Amino acid sequence: MMMKRSPLVLGNKTLKDVSDDICAPVERFPSKGWVGLFLGAKTLLLFYIAILASVVGIGIGLLGVNSPVFWGTMIVTFVFWIGIGHAGTLISAVLFLFRQKWRTSVARTAEAMTVFAVMTAGLFPLLHTGRPWLDYWLFPYPNQRGPLWVNFRSPLLWDVFAVSTYATVSMVFWYIGLVPDFATIKDRAKNKLRRTLYGALSLGWRGTARNWSHYEMVYLILAGLSTPLVLSVHTIVSFDFAVSNLPGWHTTIFPPYFVAGAIFSGFAMVVTLMTLVRIGFKEFQNYVTLDHMEVMNKIIMTTGMLVGYAYASEFFIAWYSGNQYERFVFVNRAFGPYGWSYWMMVTCNVLIPQLFWFKKMRRSIPVMFVVSIFVNIGMWFERFVITVTSLHRDFLPSSWGMYAWSWFDTGVLVGSFGMFLTLFLLYLRLFPAVSIAEVKPVLHVGYDEKGGH
Amino acid sequence: MSEMHHDHELEMKKALRPKIERDNKYWLSLEQWNNDPEFAKAAETEFLSSPLREKDGEEGGWARREFLKLMGASIAMASAGCIRRPVQKIVPYNKQPEEVTLGLANYYSSAYMEGSEGLAVLIKTREGRPIKIEANPGHPFSISGLNIRSQASLLNLYDPERLKGPQRNLFNEKKTNSQVIDVKWEDLDKKVVEQLKKGDVVILTGAISSPATRAVIGDFAQGFKAKHVVWDAISNEDVLAGQKASYGDEVIPAYRFDKAKMIVSIDADFLGTWISPTAFTNQFVEGRKDIKNMNRLVSFDSNYSLTGANADIRFKIKPSQQLDVVMGLLHEIIVKKGASGYAGNGSVKAALAPFADVAAKLGFDAEIFAKVAADLLANRGQSVVVAGGLQAMTEKSKELQVAVNFLNSVLDNEGKTVDAKGGNSAVKGSYADLISLVQDMKNGKVKTLIVHRVNPGFVLPEELGFADAAKKVEMVLYTGDRIDETGVFADYIVPDNHALESWNDAELANGVYTICQPAIRPMYDTRSFQLSLMTWAYLANQGPARLREYETFYDYLRVFWKSDIMPKVGKGKDFEDFWLETLQKGYAGDISKGSSARSFKVEAFTAIKPAAAASGYELVLYPTSQMGDGSLNNVAWLHELPDPITKIVWDNYVMVSLATAEKHQLKEGNVIELTVGEKKIELPIHIQPGLHDDVLAIAVGYGRTRVGKVGNGIGQNAFALASFKDGKMIFAGQKAEFKKLHKKYELACTQGHHVMEGRNIVAEATLKDYNKKKDAGIHRHHTWSIWSGHEYSGHKWGMAVDLHTCTGCSSCVIACQSENNVPVVGKRYVLEGREMHWLRIDRYYTGNPADAEAVFQPILCQHCDNAPCETVCPVLATVHSDEGLNDMVYNRCVGTRYCANNCPYKVRRFNWFNYAKLIEKPLHMALNPSVGVRTRGVMEKCTFCVQRIHDAKTLARNEKRQLKDGDVKTACQTACPAGGIVFGDLNDPNSAVAKIFKTEERGYALLEEWHAKPSVRYLSKIRNNDKETTGGHDNGHGTAKQGEHS
Repeated sequence: MMMKRSPLVLGNKTLKDVSDDICAPVERFPSKGWVGLFLGAKTLLLFYIAILASVVGIGIGLLGVNSPVFWGTMIVTFVFWIGIGHAGTLISAVLFLFRQKWRTSVARTAEAMTVFAVMTAGLFPLLHTGRPWLDYWLFPYPNQRGPLWVNFRSPLLWDVFAVSTYATVSMVFWYIGLVPDFATIKDRAKNKLRRTLYGALSLGWRGTARNWSHYEMVYLILAGLSTPLVLSVHTIVSFDFAVSNLPGWHTTIFPPYFVAGAIFSGFAMVVTLMTLVRIGFKEFQNYVTLDHMEVMNKIIMTTGMLVGYAYASEFFIAWYSGNQYERFVFVNRAFGPYGWSYWMMVTCNVLIPQLFWFKKMRRSIPVMFVVSIFVNIGMWFERFVITVTSLHRDFLPSSWGMYAWSWFDTGVLVGSFGMFLTLFLLYLRLFPAVSIAEVKPVLHVGYDEKGGH
Repeated sequence: MSEMHHDHELEMKKALRPKIERDNKYWLSLEQWNNDPEFAKAAETEFLSSPLREKDGEEGGWARREFLKLMGASIAMASAGCIRRPVQKIVPYNKQPEEVTLGLANYYSSAYMEGSEGLAVLIKTREGRPIKIEANPGHPFSISGLNIRSQASLLNLYDPERLKGPQRNLFNEKKTNSQVIDVKWEDLDKKVVEQLKKGDVVILTGAISSPATRAVIGDFAQGFKAKHVVWDAISNEDVLAGQKASYGDEVIPAYRFDKAKMIVSIDADFLGTWISPTAFTNQFVEGRKDIKNMNRLVSFDSNYSLTGANADIRFKIKPSQQLDVVMGLLHEIIVKKGASGYAGNGSVKAALAPFADVAAKLGFDAEIFAKVAADLLANRGQSVVVAGGLQAMTEKSKELQVAVNFLNSVLDNEGKTVDAKGGNSAVKGSYADLISLVQDMKNGKVKTLIVHRVNPGFVLPEELGFADAAKKVEMVLYTGDRIDETGVFADYIVPDNHALESWNDAELANGVYTICQPAIRPMYDTRSFQLSLMTWAYLANQGPARLREYETFYDYLRVFWKSDIMPKVGKGKDFEDFWLETLQKGYAGDISKGSSARSFKVEAFTAIKPAAAASGYELVLYPTSQMGDGSLNNVAWLHELPDPITKIVWDNYVMVSLATAEKHQLKEGNVIELTVGEKKIELPIHIQPGLHDDVLAIAVGYGRTRVGKVGNGIGQNAFALASFKDGKMIFAGQKAEFKKLHKKYELACTQGHHVMEGRNIVAEATLKDYNKKKDAGIHRHHTWSIWSGHEYSGHKWGMAVDLHTCTGCSSCVIACQSENNVPVVGKRYVLEGREMHWLRIDRYYTGNPADAEAVFQPILCQHCDNAPCETVCPVLATVHSDEGLNDMVYNRCVGTRYCANNCPYKVRRFNWFNYAKLIEKPLHMALNPSVGVRTRGVMEKCTFCVQRIHDAKTLARNEKRQLKDGDVKTACQTACPAGGIVFGDLNDPNSAVAKIFKTEERGYALLEEWHAKPSVRYLSKIRNNDKETTGGHDNGHGTAKQGEHS
């Protein structure tokens, strides 16, 4: 006997219901809740802009970076946001290729999260340089300065390519997916401005068979292009560390460890956002169901354990290498002055997700919200641990030091959420947050309620 | 450019100021000139557009064109001699072209003098402004190297807060107010001369090593019946008193550490602060270079001094034990070993009897202590025992000195390693004289007080009443360059020229005469002290003819040299030839030698009584080699230079031992209230390994209140804790109490961690280890690579740093800072880890923390062949040169800082802010134009002084020859008094550095196993104690944990 699969969309929706429900947040007057959140996020964003402007105007020295910790909050937060991006691509591209139909209702928002996370992250490597106005020197293009060329041996340069490719592809992929839905909104529009704007956004979509045929093909190709990026981007980000010769950075495990960590944190962020979306837009509860959330929680637990395994194996290898500097870095990581951050990381990333062994926990919205927040905190600390604790005590004890955290660091970290949330809230208001075109095919329309024909 | 213009303008104004003319005829005509408007008008229009006088008293406002015209005019006049502008020739160093060529540096020989230390220097000038002070390598007194303060005195020249001209304080009746106004020299001179004629004149100066200046003062004193009082804040009067009691003559002898195989120092920090540390370091290292026959330094240390840190065997003591130590050694030698003619002397024996078991009393290992005595005895005539410095100025300081002298006499060192003739006879400063002067002032016996280059208002403790006494003096004249703690009491500030602006001479050691040439025209409306005295003598028409007769001190100096110096060191020469030769070489004569042993007055020794055993905390005040007496306290370089031992910057503090800190639950930076008698002081503590548990040590020279923006309020004035007792100043051994306050203060330490954690960083071995195996203490690694590496077909630059001779004095750090325009960032940013020094000296403690030994290691960019920084820079801003240099291209740097993360030595420095923009004018004139000033957001680091490499190459090319070994000397190398840094071409098999790389077995690459293949080799340190280490490579490296300070 076949196991009955629980429906992907609840509430016996008709096709019209789907369009109505999903377009509702875009079409109705924004709720007080949304306005409140938006104003908060926007204030934070303005604060963030002020912080970044001072850093660019006065000097990167406003942050806590120093000698020996030459990289700090900006790089930590960069890796954090880049990591978060990964879940979106994984859900929208990889699961698409694997024909995982449950992805349809979360893919759009997860991908939006990816785009905004990459945008947020992308600012950091640009602004954390000493002279951000010369950042364009990192791009290899024919120039009249010699010509001066870039150093293709530098992982930082690979990073420039990796992140910019990732940002471009995920943005295009996301946009292509949005095109049919923009057309739907255009069609439903009651005023001219709306019709014009969404019409422009929908690139003249008419819903013809030819349109659909091209669309499906492009989408498939883009999914194929995005899939390797899920692995490559964070692999290359990890090269920033792994290719250096600093104990604690120079580790072969970094690429898979970073990718697992990225998926881990990304899913946690999807869960955080989705629980909030479900609260904010009640009609979405039928599309983003508890089943969806549970699947994601399972992934969180799995990747959490992968990450935990990486932590353990790093310690083992440090001991097994017999290298005194390597050994010291790991002992110092757990028991040195920054030991608290290490244990914070282990608690949040390895211990807390273990709650998801219990089905009740996996399906409880408050529990998963809290856990996902902890995972986010833990993953920020993971990057902090890697970046700061490796740097702060390296080869010559004379140059050991501590990171000089300033309130600008706090501003940068908190402010980046302002940027992300502002973008995300605007997205919820202006774009269809669930893919109308993809949800409709997975409805049980035309099927018997009991599963028979 | 506008600034330069401005400076020239001031110079011009100075030059145009009416001069006091000596010739009566000219004087009259000048007066007429000044007073007769018609004449002035005629002069203005008829010729020379009136450069002869100031148009208006204050603001000239010369336009550029006018300025150029005037400059031309003044040169024309000077050469034509149509007005009485003195023609004074200053001659560039003989190896340099005589004319100023843009882009080429000129070197002028000169001397730096401060208290008891004098150094022969070369002033490097570029386009007419001094930019660096270098050692004069030919000088017999200091063979190589400089100290910290002589190099930093450059910044004092450009101190924005220097006075720009004479000033007057319009005091009320009781001298309680302060209303300072600018005055004209003429008015000042008039008033001063009136006052001087009333008599009762006293001139207060520090030790004056300049024979000509002494002559001026002597002549002046003769003319005005004036008294000359000599006093130095950091005096050596204990040595003088001891010498007088022991041998009858009051001299500072020359100590010959180079001739000593066995050196015992009782708190005499001769490598850091005592008498003339730079020359002593030279000598000390000379006796250590031949390792098999190296000398042994035993230090009895009551603070952690540089000498103690370099000792082969260090004992920690407290000041009250100093005498016990010397007496104990004498007891070992005379009584136990009977190895002296005095062994049969009953009264000597009786005097020594109470010191039979000093080792036990002081808690020393009796065997080691006896070995010290035995070693001294074994090296009779080839050993030296020294004691002194503020740390040794206890109530028993004279007895200590007498005992030390006796020990030297017993050991036949007198006349051999202690040479009464070759010292510096000028060092005569006395606190007793100053105190009696203060008494005289209080009693109204002083009508005019001229204070020159000393600062009693800062140094003298309040209860001695200098402030009140100064108010009782009718007129106080102060020659300082600012209204400082003494200047506030002055009726007139008579600003002296900076040393770099004036002619002078110096007798740094008896028999060696040096001429100081001005390297820049006076920047402001100042006048040399000597000329002031001469002017007043002229105007009052009092004093010997030679004092009144000359218009400038330069003339006086030349005449004085002709009459007084040349007969001693240039007999039979033509004076002009002699003069020029001296200017070029920088000196004349040689150190007086060949004194014979003086006979010791035993009665001075037998009078010594043992002191009652002291318990409780004892205060030690000590000078640091960076701050000295605090006179250069407004020089930021000195504040930001990490203390050679503690590595703390921008503060002074109370040093306490680990056990004391533990006992009182004190943590680094806890503030305590220290009580000495009636006096209290609040300071943070620093926990110092290797300190005696009963010692509380504080550095003097800090806590100035009126020195300027940089130095005001940095630390506390520890001089205030000294007290005057029985005719001498007590700096050490006073009873002290303290209580913990619930306050925390952050001390900025540039070093993050103080032990090596068992890593092979500073390789160290004992002499016994070395004799067995030359590379003992070095852990070698087998490294290999699949890459053949870079090819260096031309030069390949490399450096060897000898940790064996490095004393950690930090002179190289300042040299590097001065040469490479390294910015100062201030305490706050040091706390945040943003100090900028390209060259730092790491100091690690080894062994048991309570008796920690110290090792030093200068760390600079290692210019790795496999440079980790080069591969990771995304924009190729740091690249490998074909000569093995790791070039840093500032203009290309975007500031990702990846290179610094990847540098295992952490030598890269980042411009977190726009430091260059913060340089206050005219301090920018001290910048080296050959080295770019870095902007914000770029990385910087040691370049191996690439500008010097280029200069040397250009010179060689112009001379159509190959570059030869020694043509390129890095700034750190020239400043090193230990000769511990060797730089050169590794591709030249005959270069000194290539030989070291190839043959020196003590050589090792730092972090060799990391295979960055640095171009710097360190040579291991050898400690000459009797220990032997066995086993693994990290022997000799303490693994003891010690608190962190950052």
